[in-house]
Amino acid sequence: MDNLLEVKNLKKYFPIKGGFFRTVVGNVKAVDDVSFVLKKGKTLGVVGESGCGKSTLGRAILRLHEPTSGEVVFEGKDITGLSHEEMVAKRREMQIIFQDPFASLNPRLTVFQIIVEPLEIHEIGTAEERYEKVCSLMDLVGLRRQYMHRYPHEFSGGQRQRIGIARALTMNPKFIVADEPVSALDVSVQSQVLNLIRKLQQEFGISFMFIAHDLAVVQHICDDVAVMYLGRMVEKAKAEDLYKSPKHPYTQALLSAIPQPDPNRHIDRIVLEGDVPSPINPPSGCPFHNRCIHVKEICKAVVPPVINTGTAENEHIVRCHLFSEEEQAKSKGETAKPTAESETTS
Amino acid sequence: MTTPLLSVKDLVIEFNTEHGLIRAVDRISFDIFEGETVGLVGESGCGKSITSLSILGLIPSPPGRIGAESSIKYQGKELVGLPEEQLRLMRGHDISMIFQEPMTALNPVFTVGNQMMEVIMRHKKVNKKEALKMAVKMLEDVGIPAPEKRVHNYPHQLSGGMRQRVMIAMALSCNPHLLLADEPTTALDVTIQAQVMDLMGDMQKKQNMAVILVTHDLGVVAEFCQRVIVMYCGHIAEVGTVDQIFNRPQHPYTKGLLASVPRVLEEKVEFLPTISGTVPDLGNLPKGCRFADRCERATEECNAKPPQLTIDEKTQAGVACYHPYK
Repeated sequence: MDNLLEVKNLKKYFPIKGGFFRTVVGNVKAVDDVSFVLKKGKTLGVVGESGCGKSTLGRAILRLHEPTSGEVVFEGKDITGLSHEEMVAKRREMQIIFQDPFASLNPRLTVFQIIVEPLEIHEIGTAEERYEKVCSLMDLVGLRRQYMHRYPHEFSGGQRQRIGIARALTMNPKFIVADEPVSALDVSVQSQVLNLIRKLQQEFGISFMFIAHDLAVVQHICDDVAVMYLGRMVEKAKAEDLYKSPKHPYTQALLSAIPQPDPNRHIDRIVLEGDVPSPINPPSGCPFHNRCIHVKEICKAVVPPVINTGTAENEHIVRCHLFSEEEQAKSKGETAKPTAESETTS
Repeated sequence: MTTPLLSVKDLVIEFNTEHGLIRAVDRISFDIFEGETVGLVGESGCGKSITSLSILGLIPSPPGRIGAESSIKYQGKELVGLPEEQLRLMRGHDISMIFQEPMTALNPVFTVGNQMMEVIMRHKKVNKKEALKMAVKMLEDVGIPAPEKRVHNYPHQLSGGMRQRVMIAMALSCNPHLLLADEPTTALDVTIQAQVMDLMGDMQKKQNMAVILVTHDLGVVAEFCQRVIVMYCGHIAEVGTVDQIFNRPQHPYTKGLLASVPRVLEEKVEFLPTISGTVPDLGNLPKGCRFADRCERATEECNAKPPQLTIDEKTQAGVACYHPYK
C-alpha cells in the first residue's frame, strides 16, 4: 500500500445560528465534497484564495475541526470514527505547522519546553533521551543549541518557524499539514525555510499537505497541486501539468494573475471581475459561474461532475462543464482547451 | 534635466526605544520625477514604510525624529519642519497616501461617502451636495458597482478589494501629483490584486501623477514600476530602472533576493538559492557595509567602511557596493 492518506467526500459545514432560539438557519460550506489521495513521501499543494476552505480542509483531516461527513483514511484506517484517546495517539503520526510563527508558539515556554512538550504528552523517553532528541532536532532545523533556553520573542520570524517545524518533527510523523508556513516570512528567509522543508521530505520521506496562496511556492515544493474555490476542489493534477496546461478557467485566471518578477515576460492577464462570493450563499451550480468567462446555461444550474482528463495513473481532475463528454463532443475539431481568446459566451 | 517632483536628501529617521536610539533610516537620498512609478522594495524592517511616512510628516514624534540635516523637498518646497497646519493642507491635495490594511485605515463609524466628502470639502471650495456628487463620481471611476448606493455604506459592508478601491478613490479625489502607496495589495488575494493594480495604473495615466510603490513583492514591482529603489537595513543598496535591477542586478543583495524568489513556469530546481544569515539588528549594526556578513564578495574593505551610493545624474542609477556585479 503506498497510499498514506485517502480523503473521500469530505465535508465540513459550519452552522450559522440566528433568531431568538439560536436555531441553525444556514451553513457555511467551508469544505464541500473534497476527495483526494496522497501517496507516501509525496507532497500535495492546496492553493486558493482566502476563504476557499484550504485551511479548514487541513484541519478537518487532522480532526482539529470535526468533519461533518466523509472519510479520512490514514494508512488504511478511517480515522473519523476514532475516540479521543485513539486520536491523540494517532496524532503522533500526523502533525501541523502553522502560518503565524508569532501566535503559534507559547510565549511563556522556552524553546526546549516547546519542542519537548509532545514527548511529555506521549510519555516517551527519559529526561536524558528527551534532551538528546531536542538537541538533534535543533541541529536538524538549523537552530543553535545554545538558544535552547530562550523564549520565542527573542527570535526572528524565520527562526520561530524553524521552532514550529522542530516541534512538528518531535514525534517522527509520517504526515504533516503545513498551513501557509512561509507566507509570513520575508523572501530571503522564505527560501531558507522552503529548502528546510525540502530537506525533510528527502531525508525522512514525510508526506506533506502544503497549504498556500502563493502558487510559485507551491510549484516549487509540491508533486501534486489541488486548486480550491469556495470549498470545492476545482482542479487537481501533477504540478507540471497544472502549471503548463491549466484546465479550469479559475486556475487559468489565478495563474495569469501572479505578478512575475521578470520584466521581460508578459502574460496576457485574465482579470476576473468581481469578488469571491460569500460561502454562506454560494452561487447555484458551479460556484465559479458568476466570474467565469466561459459560462454557459448549464453552469448556472448543475454542479459540475468530477472529470478526469488525464490517464488513470496520471490523473488530471477538473470540475468544469467545459470538459464533460457532451461539451467535448460539441467542440470536437475546435481546441479542447478553453483559452482567453476563444469566445464561448453567447 | 528636469527638476524632480520630490527630492529626498540625507534623510535620517531615528527612534528612541528601550534599547537606546535606533536609526531606522540612515542618510538616504533619492529623487522622484513627475509621472513616474518608483518601487521602494526591501524586506521587513529595512525602513521602506517609514521613509514613505516621513514624506507626509507622519512619523510619530516622540519616539520618532527626523534628523537635523534631512531634507525632503516637494516641488522645491522644504517639507521637513513645516508646521502641522501647512502639512495638513498638502496631505491629500498634493501628496496622497494609500495604506496596506484598508480596514484599519478607514474609519469604521463613518460611511465611506462621509469620509470621502471630508477630504474633498477640506481641499476644495464646494458644498456638501457637490462633494457627495464628486465622491460618487470617484467611486464610479474606481469601478465600484452602484456607487450611489455604496457611498452610504460603512467600511465593514465592503469586501477587502472594494475597501482598497475606496481608499484609492479617496486618495485620488483631489488629483494629487504624488501618490504614496504602502503595500496597497499585500492584504488582497492575487485575482483581486490584479484588479487593484490595473486600476492604479489606469488612474495614474489619467491623472499623470507620480507613484511611490512601497512593497516587498518583486513581481508587482517588475510589472508596475519604471524605476526601483532597493533598500537594505536603513540604507539604499541599489537604484535603477526595472530592466537594470531585474536583468542586470549589481548589488549582491539585489541579486540574492531575486534569485531566492520561486517562479512559476520555470525549470524546477531542487533547492532554491538563499541568502545565508539574517538581517542585522538595527541596534547593533556593523561598522562597514550592512550586508557584508551575508555577502560572498565581502572583503576587508567592506567591513571597514560602508560603501557610498553615488547616483548617476543622467541615468538616475547607482549602487552602494565596493564589488558590484557588472
